[in-house]
Amino acid sequence: MKAETRNAAAAAAVLLALCAVPFLAGKFTVYLTMRIMLLGIFAVGYNLLLGQTGLLSFGHGAFYAAGAYGLGFFGLHVSGHPLFGVAAGVAAAVLLAVLVGYLCVRHTEIYFAMLTLACGMMVFSLIWNAREITGGDDGLIGIMRSPVSFFGLFKIPIGTDRQFYFFVLVFFAFSVWAAHRIRQSPFGLALAGIRENARRSEFAGVPVRRYRLAVFVLSGAFAGLSGSLEALLESNARPFMAHWTHSAEPVLVSLLGGLSSLAGPLVGGAIFVAMREIIQRFTENWMLGFGIVLLVIIMGFRGGVMGTLSALFRKATAPGEG
Amino acid sequence: MGAPLLTTEKLSNHFGMVCTARDLDLRFERGVLTSIIGPNGAGKSTLINLLTGHLPVQAGKILFQGREITRLPIHRRVRMGICRSFQVVNVFPELTVAQNVMIPVLARTGRSWRPIRSLSRETAVMRETEAFLEKVALLTERDTPATALSHGDLRLLEVGVALAAAPTLLFLDEPTAGMNPVERVRLLENIRELAREGRTTFVVVEHDMDVVFSLSERIIVLHRGEVLCDGTPEAVRADAKVREVYLGDDVSDLFRYREEE
Repeated sequence: MKAETRNAAAAAAVLLALCAVPFLAGKFTVYLTMRIMLLGIFAVGYNLLLGQTGLLSFGHGAFYAAGAYGLGFFGLHVSGHPLFGVAAGVAAAVLLAVLVGYLCVRHTEIYFAMLTLACGMMVFSLIWNAREITGGDDGLIGIMRSPVSFFGLFKIPIGTDRQFYFFVLVFFAFSVWAAHRIRQSPFGLALAGIRENARRSEFAGVPVRRYRLAVFVLSGAFAGLSGSLEALLESNARPFMAHWTHSAEPVLVSLLGGLSSLAGPLVGGAIFVAMREIIQRFTENWMLGFGIVLLVIIMGFRGGVMGTLSALFRKATAPGEG
Repeated sequence: MGAPLLTTEKLSNHFGMVCTARDLDLRFERGVLTSIIGPNGAGKSTLINLLTGHLPVQAGKILFQGREITRLPIHRRVRMGICRSFQVVNVFPELTVAQNVMIPVLARTGRSWRPIRSLSRETAVMRETEAFLEKVALLTERDTPATALSHGDLRLLEVGVALAAAPTLLFLDEPTAGMNPVERVRLLENIRELAREGRTTFVVVEHDMDVVFSLSERIIVLHRGEVLCDGTPEAVRADAKVREVYLGDDVSDLFRYREEE
């Protein structure tokens, strides 16, 4: 079977399974699956920056928070329509990403990482301290899930978790599709070229800085989408969404699942959320358990879960040795 | 010959106290295959780095087809038609041979911004990429990752990536370094043929004097950042100052020396 057909079949199977979850599983599993999809959107967008372009950002929590607060403010002051709210959240994230990105993409490697970290910390402290506007450490509470109405013609309710699940699933499927297309596109190849050899990319006629900014903003948009959906899911926006510990999540998840494939961050996200749930039942210090797993992956299986699996698969199907 | 392709006015560069370019006034004419030679530290690589934007210009001016490009960023110069290859192989290691060549083709044709369209549908780009691979005799290796190529093939790819930017003026920095004689002859044949096609003007930095004298129509000898001699191969061979710089030895003898790598 050709690799493309195989991937398409796998994607269809996963989508079908995801559609079945709210009908077969309990409330808590539905909730957890939504959390996995949210982290998946965040990480799959983030990996366009890290895995595809080779830029390590520690500030994407800020864009996630921009999405959540953007949707929150829009809901409080303009309209409760969830689709417009999500659009407002993504727009806020894009705007912030343009500002932060413009500053950061002039630098690379450790300087880039530290600049994004610094910008993220500034955003966190702004949200934390502007109590009158953002609600400070309480966050923005009471975000409603109004029905999705299409020009008042018909309305789709998303009030219950089972209903909202499909709202998330649509955005998740769209995000994964978009990330897939970007990776296969000429733009994606230009990004890979920048990762492999930025100087040579310039000599190939690629304006490297502009491409870095573009992918930075693009990954910020994914983060904003994920953040705005979480605000709807949890009915609030919290300052810790912008905290650097949250910015580290897509990094860890991408490393865990594997940087070099589309599925890597998705699988990593699923493992991350599931492990957090399981370990937290036994101990408060779930980061200890996760740290050990990450240690093993990075030291022993550099390609992450997906990298290791595909290497095994290649070995098993290799002609000759079998 | 018409207007010169590229001219420099009092181009200068210093690294601390070391002068690597001193008031260089050079003209490169369209279609004249030129070599730049000189002992180590003469400023050959510095000159290429200045002209292509790799190094910022400290003093002087560069004009390309009449337009000043002194402070333009690298990618703008490439779009205008100035490109280079590197002395040490400098390609995209984890990408395939075809992808390596495709990046400059996409950038040149303005297609590299397309974020949704699948690469496999860019048939015009594919065809052009294959044509360039054919020129450097790498078509059979199109799906090999660059890291898996032999040294000679990597050098060919290095030149292929530079050619794929379809430059009007192409600087090749020691294109045959570390190649075996067979590969060397093959690459030189390619360069000669491409030069004859006339779309690209080649300027080559070389250590191998057999290569230099068999290939060039014009030779520029640099020494301590200055032009020591500039003319046809015969004129350079006969020049007394050149002999002196090369320790007064018999030129043909000395010119047999090869860069150890």
